[in-house]
Amino acid sequence: MNSTVPVFDPASPQAQAIYDLFVQVLLMSAGIFMIVSGLIVVALWRFREREALPEQNFGSHRQEIFWMVGPIIIVLWLAAVSANLVLTLNAAPRAHPPGEADADLVVTGHQWWWQIEYADSGIVAANELHIPTGKRLRVKLESQDVIHCFWVPQLARKMDAIPGRENYLWLEANEPGVYQGRCAEYCGTQHTWMNFRVYAHTPQDYAQWRIAQHIQPKPPEQAPAAAGKELFMTLTCSQCHRIGGTDAKADIAPDLTHLASRQELGGGVIDNTPDNLRLWLKDPQALKPGCKMPNFKLSDEHLTQLVAYLETLE
Amino acid sequence: MSLPLADKPLESGVSREADAATATWLLGWVSTVDHKRIGILYILTAMVFLAVGGGEALLMRIQLALPRNTFLSPDAFNQMFTMHGTTMVFLVGMPVLVGFANFFVPLMIGARDVAFPRLNAMSYWLLPSGGILLYYSFLTGKAPDAGWFSYAPLSTKAYNLMQAQDYWILGLACLGVGSVAAAINIFVTVLSCRAPGMSLQRVPLFVWMSFMTAILTILALPALNAALAMLLIDRWLGAAFFEPARGGSAILWQHYFWVFGHPEVYILILPAFGMISEVIPVFSRKPIYGYSFVAGSSAVIVLLSYGVWAHHMFAAGLGMGANIFFAVGSLLIALPTGVKVFNWTATMWGGSIRLTTSMLFAVAFLLEFVIGGLTGVMFAAVPIDWQLTDTYFVVGHFHYVLIGGTVFGLFAATFYWFPKITGRMLSERLGKLQFWLWVAGLNATFMVQHFLGLMGMPRRNYTYRDEPGWAVLNQIATVGAFLMAAGTLVLIWNILVSLRKGKIAGDNPWGAFTLEWATTSPPPVENFETIPEVHSRRPVWDRDHPELADSKTEKSPEDNGRRPGKARMCGWAFVASEAVFFLLLLVTYVVFNSRHGDDSGPTAEKVLDVFRTGMFSIALISSSATFWIAERSLRRGAQGGFRLWLGATILLGMVFLGGQVWEYSELIRGGVTIDRNLFASTFFTVTGFHGLHVTAGLVALVILLVLGVQRYLTAERSEVMAAVGVYWHFVDVVWLAVFGIIYLGLLQ
Amino acid sequence: MNWLATAELWNWASPVWLIAAILTAWYLWIVRGAWSFRAAWFLLAIVALAAAFVSPIGVLADGYLFSAHMVQHLMLLLIVPLCLLLSLPEARVEAWLTRPRWTWLRRLLAIPVIGWLCGLGSMWFWHVPTLCAAATESYALGVVRSATFFVAGLLFWWQVYSPVVRLRLPPLPSVVYLFSACTGCTLLGIYITFTSVAVCPAFANPADRIGILNMLYDAGLTPAADQQLGGLLMWVPPCSLYVSAVIGVLCRWYTQPTLAPASSASLPTTIREART
Repeated sequence: MNSTVPVFDPASPQAQAIYDLFVQVLLMSAGIFMIVSGLIVVALWRFREREALPEQNFGSHRQEIFWMVGPIIIVLWLAAVSANLVLTLNAAPRAHPPGEADADLVVTGHQWWWQIEYADSGIVAANELHIPTGKRLRVKLESQDVIHCFWVPQLARKMDAIPGRENYLWLEANEPGVYQGRCAEYCGTQHTWMNFRVYAHTPQDYAQWRIAQHIQPKPPEQAPAAAGKELFMTLTCSQCHRIGGTDAKADIAPDLTHLASRQELGGGVIDNTPDNLRLWLKDPQALKPGCKMPNFKLSDEHLTQLVAYLETLE
Repeated sequence: MSLPLADKPLESGVSREADAATATWLLGWVSTVDHKRIGILYILTAMVFLAVGGGEALLMRIQLALPRNTFLSPDAFNQMFTMHGTTMVFLVGMPVLVGFANFFVPLMIGARDVAFPRLNAMSYWLLPSGGILLYYSFLTGKAPDAGWFSYAPLSTKAYNLMQAQDYWILGLACLGVGSVAAAINIFVTVLSCRAPGMSLQRVPLFVWMSFMTAILTILALPALNAALAMLLIDRWLGAAFFEPARGGSAILWQHYFWVFGHPEVYILILPAFGMISEVIPVFSRKPIYGYSFVAGSSAVIVLLSYGVWAHHMFAAGLGMGANIFFAVGSLLIALPTGVKVFNWTATMWGGSIRLTTSMLFAVAFLLEFVIGGLTGVMFAAVPIDWQLTDTYFVVGHFHYVLIGGTVFGLFAATFYWFPKITGRMLSERLGKLQFWLWVAGLNATFMVQHFLGLMGMPRRNYTYRDEPGWAVLNQIATVGAFLMAAGTLVLIWNILVSLRKGKIAGDNPWGAFTLEWATTSPPPVENFETIPEVHSRRPVWDRDHPELADSKTEKSPEDNGRRPGKARMCGWAFVASEAVFFLLLLVTYVVFNSRHGDDSGPTAEKVLDVFRTGMFSIALISSSATFWIAERSLRRGAQGGFRLWLGATILLGMVFLGGQVWEYSELIRGGVTIDRNLFASTFFTVTGFHGLHVTAGLVALVILLVLGVQRYLTAERSEVMAAVGVYWHFVDVVWLAVFGIIYLGLLQ
Repeated sequence: MNWLATAELWNWASPVWLIAAILTAWYLWIVRGAWSFRAAWFLLAIVALAAAFVSPIGVLADGYLFSAHMVQHLMLLLIVPLCLLLSLPEARVEAWLTRPRWTWLRRLLAIPVIGWLCGLGSMWFWHVPTLCAAATESYALGVVRSATFFVAGLLFWWQVYSPVVRLRLPPLPSVVYLFSACTGCTLLGIYITFTSVAVCPAFANPADRIGILNMLYDAGLTPAADQQLGGLLMWVPPCSLYVSAVIGVLCRWYTQPTLAPASSASLPTTIREART
């Protein structure tokens, strides 16, 4: 599951390279700090409140230049290693390689959720990315409204999702697991709850997951769920949300085709359980104040029916 | 003026006298043009806003003390961090540094006042005006909440309907004008008002740093003003500079903001470098080690700081070339900064160190600033930035720089200079209490934030899930914030007590070296009874230790005695500032009009009458020639010729403006309005601001003409004419660029 | 980088040798007998001049790569003139300039704005798309362009590194001069790097004279990448050079123990007397 200190727990070659560089720089910085603070402490201890007037020393050019040698070497080294990483392992993928799809995944930032489209299979999802391990995926980042920032510390660098621009990044995971992602660029009221998760599967599991995604949920037959579906289509829900295989085809709000299989609701604000889903439907504004879904003031009966329906969307 | 007083004297004579005395006292402060009083006003105003901005920080820290806390709503939290950042940068950091510069730069260079005392008063009064504009937004129901760098499109009308954002823009524009005016004043003061013998290579380092800061301010703030103007035009007039759906750019704001924003960091830290460079030598009883390296490296920082803005945008996907370029630039800045730390340490080495509160803060500055500097170097390495930017790591980083650096420098300066400002010493006992509270608070609050960043907590989150460790680290940070608040209360208490009961300071309580200590504490209105003469970098040391005088042992470049004219220097500085403004507007024009794409709307080729505007341009350009003749006539004493040619200049300027009005009215009648497309927006913005500048120039010319008619303007006073000339020729040069780029389509 | 060894990439028959020979003869005549380490600067100038035309830079600059063309400009505008100025003996140059028939030149050189405009203006002027294309296609115009770069470079650097120290700009104005030049370069660099317009259309679809175009494209130097690289070259190296020059000027400023004799002549007497 999630790592406590994700930046120090890389799970992809890209993140590993950054981590290695970071550790080197951290050690170097610690060394410099020890030297400077050591000199200051010694100076305070040796030269405190001396009676005699100290020698009036104005400095020496030779010493200054001598001191600068170390920092210059460090700066050149840092420039070289950063440039190397920028140009090689962590180079942003080039767009539109001839003969291939534009990107494997298209991730679009919305206020305040993420839409994920799989280029090859046409699967559309929200806030949860499923990827196979050991494969470098080209991710295209876009935004519907303001600037967001896609960040999965264990897997990849940060990259902004900017309206009117296309940014690309590599996403890859060494091992199967769940990796926490967050929006890192302040994007308005609910910037905080714009989390997402990356689920890395073995290639076999990933293939299975893909097959499951193509199965459209069966239309419910039992009473509360069937009534819930009716409600979903007649109330305004379907004007924003999409559910595969039904008349709800809008893409303003998260796709709900497989809602019941997701772990979290509302960009991470609560876990996805039937009780929590009911809470959410009752008043989204109480859980995620300012979010774009209004409080529909649904009756208890309607809530039961809607929850029953949405829980069928495995 | 003697207005008849109210005819019913209700109160007793005594209290009326007291009232009158209070009124006079108040009026004395409100109407003052004395640089010392204005400096104190700046510092006090900044302290008021420090309390406000600090309060906002405390509210945020309370909210974050518990996971899923509901103390503040998300909107309230977002308003708090926006106002905290804006307040601390524009209403606390810049004003308090300008305040100290205002008080001490003239004293340290042996001047009687700043170059333009009345401009100084205006600069100050723009500060409370801007502050009130900004805080007035609370009364509209909501304060600005787009963050202190207000990234577009979040700050555009589509995502920010409230008026608060407009107050933010207007408040910042107002503060920006005040800051530039204050900076021009310091710039000219340092260049033109130094005492005899004080060459620029001899000025105290605080003066040098203030000089560098002034240059930074003059050249950086117009970038912000250009961005603000464009955002306001987007919001009010329906243009689409930052609206991608209509062809605008969502990333342009970031470029412009950081072209200002990164130099701004140095505007906030360089004066603190200067303060430290005064305090450490005095309390080590030694001169600064490597004066020329400390001063020269700051000049290099100023130059480099304009080439590194995009390191705030490494995550924006600028491309590999740009990333590497800006990374290298940012890493290079570490060198001139590092050299200073060495010099300060070397100054202490071999000295006789007195650990007064002032020196304690200076030493803490060294340690804390090194931490902030080293984490800064980490951010210059692009891949590390990709992980850590926009997390709490970066919050920790810049607070180490701004508190460990700027604020500790300010505290060191406060304890060092308070005796000079008031004539009384601050209590050392309370000072040390404050010191330990702040050191503990700073490290508690911001050290743990580095860990929070590594643990994946993005900045500007109003709350968080109860992940392992997050709550306890946030609680430590909250405790630290309250320690710093307590430290501030101790300082305020210390000031209040010391003002009444503090030890009398005398002229030079610390045995310090520079000219401000040569006069009384507090200094008289005229600063010095006789303007002292300077032979070295430490004139007061020379006076107190004639046998060891620096002028005998350490030769520094002699003064050549030349001081440039104030009005002319003011003109050049102003023009430089305006040039940056127009440069960015023209860059915007080129950016938006050199793209091939939607050609359905109006473009320059389709709607502009190049020949006609060319004719009017000739009128404007020839007005430069007539102005030149007028100026020559004035210097030769030919008053008639002067008035004639000046009149011709005004006429030509008006002809040009008439042409512009004609052009505008035709365009607007043809349906080409500022909100039509990006060509129209950029065209009207560039030419409109140019037209405003021509108008302002005409007003100045008319004033000169009136002065000429009244026989006030004579050959001896032709300096003011030269200053206006700098401006007028500048406006014409800008028009040449505008004409070439927009009308002739060069660069396309 | 073995493609650098391709014989076609070296233009050994370039007429620049003639100019180099003339320059060398001239220089030998100037220094006659007064040799010093300055000759090394001259050597550097000649090497840079030759490299700009003979080496692959010159060949690629001729219709193939915008970036190589940019390197050539920078060498002609910044490196060669600077080295040449540094190589000239002060006394000899001063002796010339005091001759009456060179008075106009002395007056011209005394105006820093001219140097600045030449340095910056030549760069901007020759990168107006139409002119850039014309100069790349026409041999004669290309020669004119190279010559203007060289002369403009001399005028530009004269202000800061004139062989006659007395005629240099004072340190602080030098800093302003260099810094504003740096800004000008930066703007042009940014423009070239980020604009979608082909600044020099001739390089957008080059005529493949010597059959190396595919090699270049394979190395990633497509016209768009090439222009970006050119823009960065316009931006980074000159600005580094200017900032280094600023550091040099500041060093000079802080270490000058007393006033240069020329400027002390203009001292107001009162202050000088007050000090003595």
